[in-house]
Amino acid sequence: MATQATTTETVTLTIDGQSTTVPKGTLVIEAARQVGVMVPHFCYHPKLSPDANCRMCLVEIEKMPRLQTSCSTPVAEGMVVKSSSSTQAQDARKSVLDFILANHPLDCPVCDQGGRCDLQDFSHEYTATTSRFKELKRVFNKEYFSPLIETQMNRCVQCLRCVRYCDQVMDVKALAPVGRGTLTEIKAFGAHELDCEFCGGCIQICPVGAITSRLSMYEFRPWMLKRTDSVCGYCGDGCQITFQTKGNALIEINSTQGSGRNNGDLCARGYFGYHVSEHSDRLNLPLIRKGDDLQPVQWDEALELVGQRLLDIKAKHGADAIGGLISGRCTNEDIFVFQKFMRGVIGTNRIDSSVRYGHLNGVHAMQRVQGTHRWSVCFDDIESADTLLLVGTNITETNPITGLRVKEAVKRRGAKLITIEALEPAIGSISNIVNLAQHHLGVKPTGYAAAILGLVKAVVEQSILDVELQAKSPAFFNDISARLQALSWESIAAQTSLASDTFIQAARVFGQGKKVVILVGPGVLRSTGGFGMTTNLLDLLLLTGKLAQPGCGLAPLAEENNDQGAYEMGGIGAVLPGGTSLGDSEAREHISKAWGRPIPDTSGSSLPQMIEDAQQGKLKALFVVGENPLASLPPSSGIHMALKKLEFLVCQELFLTETAQQAHAVLPACSYAEKDGTFTNTEGHIQSVRKAIDLVGESRPDWEIFSALSVTMNDPMEYGDVKEIGKEIRNLLPGTRTLGPAPLPAQPNSSTIARYVTADYQRDVATRYQLPANATETDDLILQVSQSLFHSGKFSRKAKGLIQVEAMGKLYLHPEEAARRGIGDGDTVKVSNGLGEVLTPVGLRERIPQGVVVYPEHFDEEIRQLLPFDVDAETQVPYCKIARVHLEKMVGP
Amino acid sequence: MLLVKFKDEVEEILSRYPVKRSALLPLLNLAQREEGFVSELAMRDIAKVLDLTPPQVFETVTFYTMFHLKPIGKFHLQVCKSLMCALVRSDELVTWISKKLNIGPGQTTVDGNFTLSVVECLGSCGTGPMMQVNDDYYEQLTEEKVGRVLDDLARVGECSLKSGPFMFPMPLAKS
Amino acid sequence: MAQYEKILLKNMEQPGYTGALGDYERTGGYQALRKVFTEMSPDQVIDEVKKSGLRGRGGAGFPAGVKWGFIPKDHPGPKYLCCNADESEPGTFKDRQLMERDPHQMLEGMAITCFAIGAETAYVYIRGEFRLGAKILEKAVQEANAAGYLGENVLGSGQTIKIHVHAGAGAYICGEETALLESLEGKRGMPRFKPPFPATHGLYQKPTVVNNVETMANIPHIINRGGEWFSGIGSPPKSCGTRIFCLSGHVKRPGNYEVPMGIPFRELIYDVGGGMRSDKPLKAFIPGGASAPFLTPDHLDVKMDFEAVAMAGSMLGSGGVTVMEEGTSMVWAALRLMEFFYHESCGKCTPCREGSSWLAQTLQRIWNRQGREGDLDLLAELCKNIAGRTVCAFGEAEVGPIQSTLKYFRHEYEALIQEAEASRPRSKEIPVMTQ
Ligand SMILES: Cc1cc2nc3c(=O)[nH]c(=O)nc-3n(C[C@H](O)[C@H](O)[C@H](O)COP(=O)(O)O)c2cc1C
Ligand code: SF4
Ligand code: FES
Repeated sequence: MATQATTTETVTLTIDGQSTTVPKGTLVIEAARQVGVMVPHFCYHPKLSPDANCRMCLVEIEKMPRLQTSCSTPVAEGMVVKSSSSTQAQDARKSVLDFILANHPLDCPVCDQGGRCDLQDFSHEYTATTSRFKELKRVFNKEYFSPLIETQMNRCVQCLRCVRYCDQVMDVKALAPVGRGTLTEIKAFGAHELDCEFCGGCIQICPVGAITSRLSMYEFRPWMLKRTDSVCGYCGDGCQITFQTKGNALIEINSTQGSGRNNGDLCARGYFGYHVSEHSDRLNLPLIRKGDDLQPVQWDEALELVGQRLLDIKAKHGADAIGGLISGRCTNEDIFVFQKFMRGVIGTNRIDSSVRYGHLNGVHAMQRVQGTHRWSVCFDDIESADTLLLVGTNITETNPITGLRVKEAVKRRGAKLITIEALEPAIGSISNIVNLAQHHLGVKPTGYAAAILGLVKAVVEQSILDVELQAKSPAFFNDISARLQALSWESIAAQTSLASDTFIQAARVFGQGKKVVILVGPGVLRSTGGFGMTTNLLDLLLLTGKLAQPGCGLAPLAEENNDQGAYEMGGIGAVLPGGTSLGDSEAREHISKAWGRPIPDTSGSSLPQMIEDAQQGKLKALFVVGENPLASLPPSSGIHMALKKLEFLVCQELFLTETAQQAHAVLPACSYAEKDGTFTNTEGHIQSVRKAIDLVGESRPDWEIFSALSVTMNDPMEYGDVKEIGKEIRNLLPGTRTLGPAPLPAQPNSSTIARYVTADYQRDVATRYQLPANATETDDLILQVSQSLFHSGKFSRKAKGLIQVEAMGKLYLHPEEAARRGIGDGDTVKVSNGLGEVLTPVGLRERIPQGVVVYPEHFDEEIRQLLPFDVDAETQVPYCKIARVHLEKMVGP
Repeated sequence: MLLVKFKDEVEEILSRYPVKRSALLPLLNLAQREEGFVSELAMRDIAKVLDLTPPQVFETVTFYTMFHLKPIGKFHLQVCKSLMCALVRSDELVTWISKKLNIGPGQTTVDGNFTLSVVECLGSCGTGPMMQVNDDYYEQLTEEKVGRVLDDLARVGECSLKSGPFMFPMPLAKS
Repeated sequence: MAQYEKILLKNMEQPGYTGALGDYERTGGYQALRKVFTEMSPDQVIDEVKKSGLRGRGGAGFPAGVKWGFIPKDHPGPKYLCCNADESEPGTFKDRQLMERDPHQMLEGMAITCFAIGAETAYVYIRGEFRLGAKILEKAVQEANAAGYLGENVLGSGQTIKIHVHAGAGAYICGEETALLESLEGKRGMPRFKPPFPATHGLYQKPTVVNNVETMANIPHIINRGGEWFSGIGSPPKSCGTRIFCLSGHVKRPGNYEVPMGIPFRELIYDVGGGMRSDKPLKAFIPGGASAPFLTPDHLDVKMDFEAVAMAGSMLGSGGVTVMEEGTSMVWAALRLMEFFYHESCGKCTPCREGSSWLAQTLQRIWNRQGREGDLDLLAELCKNIAGRTVCAFGEAEVGPIQSTLKYFRHEYEALIQEAEASRPRSKEIPVMTQ
């Protein structure tokens, strides 16, 4: 098991004549690996608890009767182990291969695993030449298994690694070993096709070719594939992936156990979502608007036009008439060069990026309270936490691999889990983190603020407080206590439907934790009051004395792969590269000097601000890079009108998105599979993105386009390659770019904390410690538009693998809620409110609380017209994911 | 739904175990007794009660030979064929039954009354040849005796030849 | 014929004895339970059982008191007792009788064991086919609950002992103690690798004792009459007490017979069992259930105790003695057993899973007169490659019949293969292509 009790005790033993000292509890097979002795095995896997079923790893251990399985035997002091030096063990292994090959179809020539198959390799090593098996081989009838995953059960060695992975690591439990004895085969449920998270883990962990990917079936021989290690471009977890390419074609993606922050695990998006880069809709050439049409042109012409128009507008209306918006899917280098272009070449701080959509609330709150813009913990701290609080994060769907850390902590290391979540415990085909919670505080999507206050109130009332800090800053404590006292449990119950008891029990568990990590997701970060709620969660850590404790901290989960990097690279106007405030004149000087270009001291502006300014005619041009605000924001945001009013809209994109269709010029950018660079994941870890395939058409890396543009604009920022940008960033921001196997979590800054508890908290304490208006439960249904496991933005809809799993949007609700309204699975309903009405099919999900309906944001073209738009007063984060709606069943066809 | 129909029994079963999953075999037994086989719906229902996924129920069901995934005859004739019974001619018992009912092992009579199976040791090795019919054992069978059993079952649904509490050999009455 | 005092079958052989609680009480039932609750400490109970020399009756013959002693004393949280009533070993049918005829005897034994190891909950894991036995046991548990022998506040002591009857669903392997635990946890009955042993990581990973029905049934008598008394019966010091041997096959009077351990097989088969069924002489016998290697008439004078049978190359196992007369094909007999083992292999371990099917198919082929030269060496090697290399003892068990019949009756195999070879057309020369 990967989880060894943290112990300092060691044991010394001898393996094939080599002496080694390892921690107590280490398995013999692991100890052997550490001295370079590879014991052959099928069923053992370091991620899984040993099952000792394949009997391949037998070794001779002195003083022990018969051969022992090294995968299940812990080391002992003075043990003498013989592996390859034992003829008895070698003989046993040979016989195990003999047994396996007896029923094996030996169809290596058509097997996708051929060439990287443990069975092949061991057979080769142990020279099992001809089988003495002359009987009839067992044959399983082929049944359809799943849209993305293919099984070939005749090849199965019944090691059950897939089944154990699906259960122990993923907590999905979708695979069943069916039958008994030699007739056991891996299936889903009955004759049904597999319905699961499609993480691809079973494919990756199968030591033979019994489970393979349908996306790449029969398309390659492993030795034809070129491997390129890179980072997944979908979510903030930042999983290490390896592109496997044949010529210029993306054949498959996998990930190696032991490397990356994901340790080889992936989710459906990472494993099956890789075909977007190769999609036939990719833009090949720049487009410029001629009349009503966008027409393809050569790069020169397009750059000339864009440069000239920007210069014209700047000359006519000033630099602040131009704004820029960049996606958190771009690399750090792209974002860095973009903001440099905007600030240095255009001369404006009107820059924003997708970090604004929610992650900014987390970063901003951390900055404010603890003086860091990164987590003070990392993934490993989640795994070794003894208490975890998850707030507003359906983590399996938004950040699946961070979710695995939570599962590991709870399922295998016995951490206590408290969840404040608008999901109910229920078993479904994808894992549900609240199922693992000891204390689940189930609320509606509008109830988070009240629930957080309830928990803080319980902590205060139970005096689970840091006495030292209390003595030092009595005002802070007294102020907050008084405010909480003024909130009655009844008023909290009115917004959460939870009684004081529930909070008190959770507070006790929270208080007892020594290593406590709070994970915050979009339920908080992207809903009204998100900044205040996040700050209150930091208060919770402060009040209980955990904020600065090692292994403790707040972890806001980034939705897009490089939201964190976008912030750190200065991708928002108010923040300079390095995360310092634009108002920090020293930092501004330093950067201006390095660039040889002044950085304007006008305040930057956020996307909502830009929308407003555009509507009022103050913003004339917008440079949109990889963003699609027309599809990301609801009409109530005014985005349509804003874009229409612009004199000039330029989009830099892979596809002709809704926004790009409105543009005056469209510049074809390349995808992350075609370029080098770095991404910074949600825990602040910087990792290398590497080019795996050639550029599609005439597309170019984003940074290169900015650079080319600066040249046409007569203010060249020239870079030969990404490395030069990296070097510039390193020089500018020493110490911020350590690329290593793991991040060094940021340390909370004690003077910031001191400033916060003495003065800064007061700024908004009154609003934060008040129940939000309009959150009291009503008869209306609450519509929540949210992230699905199988998609990321609108982008992933172009992935042929993912679209097979989830092809369209549905309004999901609890079966009983549906039944009460006479609605059945698949029925069409009308969803409406004051903003509009929409027809949509319905799906049923037991984990959705009654009174709530959920719609995947990736298919929200229609439904988003129902979403109201609201902006955070402090962080300017737009809130537009929740609405109150009515539901009506439509009759007829 | 089965579990609603037998609510009290289900609750009593659940109360026996500190961990819910332990109730799986008893609940499956209950389902099979009610329906004659374990239906998909039953597996889904049971999964829900026990906080399991349907595949977890399914994998367990398929490990045990007593569960049927499809309906079978009203009377399930299971003849033990293991060595001890075979020594006392259990193969002939199979022939007798086949002849009388016109079905082979694995088959069901057209009227749906009888399904014949050949099974491994039923723990009745001293009293072979024998068979189990649904819940009951019939032991030390002869062609004539098994004929009577089948007739009775077909006619009245039960047969007095079934074994009572087991004692073998019966002690000689002390004189 | 020698008469021996019966311990376990004594009550039930009384005319009119029904096994109901009243009957059991009249014969002194539940006095032992009263005794432990009033006069003894758990340690004293364990010591008494250790002193008795009682060894497990389920097959492995592990000393019961020693096993109980492994249960950690200061363990916080629950401990469990599981009574192994899976009785599925071909040739064994004693537990069925003990349960159906005198259920309280084993329940009392279980209650005493719970007291000794500090368990509040016990399960009887009974094989699913024993519907009648399960019903009788359930009723007996209810009676005992009502009478205060079980349930909350046992005999006014304040202690709780709950016994639940849990039916399996058809899987021989669930008799293996760790597979039993898995099955009881609602999973596929796949044995766990050991260590850790059930004594520390058993049911729900809690300290657990697993004991056979007959083992349990002996406990009240040991408490009532003392460990010393018990250790004086049978074949001390290693094989104390009586055992119920299940006699089956070509014997005149098959049945369950309780005799002291250590009488010779000859006495059991010829005196107790009345000898061979017909006038055909004995050809071979299985001394301890299907898992025990075959013995021959040469072994008739082997004493029926653990050590002597082991010395003779087999084992006393579950106490199932199966007798085969001259004229029985030993290849056929081995095949029948091998088919059983193939059907029952849980499939966890590669050698057992694949080996059982390979062995069964090869034996089938030989029996169907399609054997080949070299098959016997292959059989021997496959057996060698299975035994000792699997998680549970099933691996050894399944090869026993083949190894022993190959040892004593190799000529029968050879004859079948020769028959096959003789009737097989000589392989033709491969036609050579000509230009
Ligand atoms: C394959 C296999 C099947 C077994 N079947 C049974 C059984 O049906 N009944 C039983 O009591 N013990 C059976 N055992 C023995 C048990 O594992 C265990 O040793 C026994 O329950 C311990 O109880 P005892 O010490 O009272 O004998 C079996 C063992 C193996 C390896
Ligand atoms: S030896 Fe056979 S029965 Fe025992 S665990 Fe292994 S596969 Fe299962
Ligand atoms: S790796 Fe040890 S038994 Fe399979």
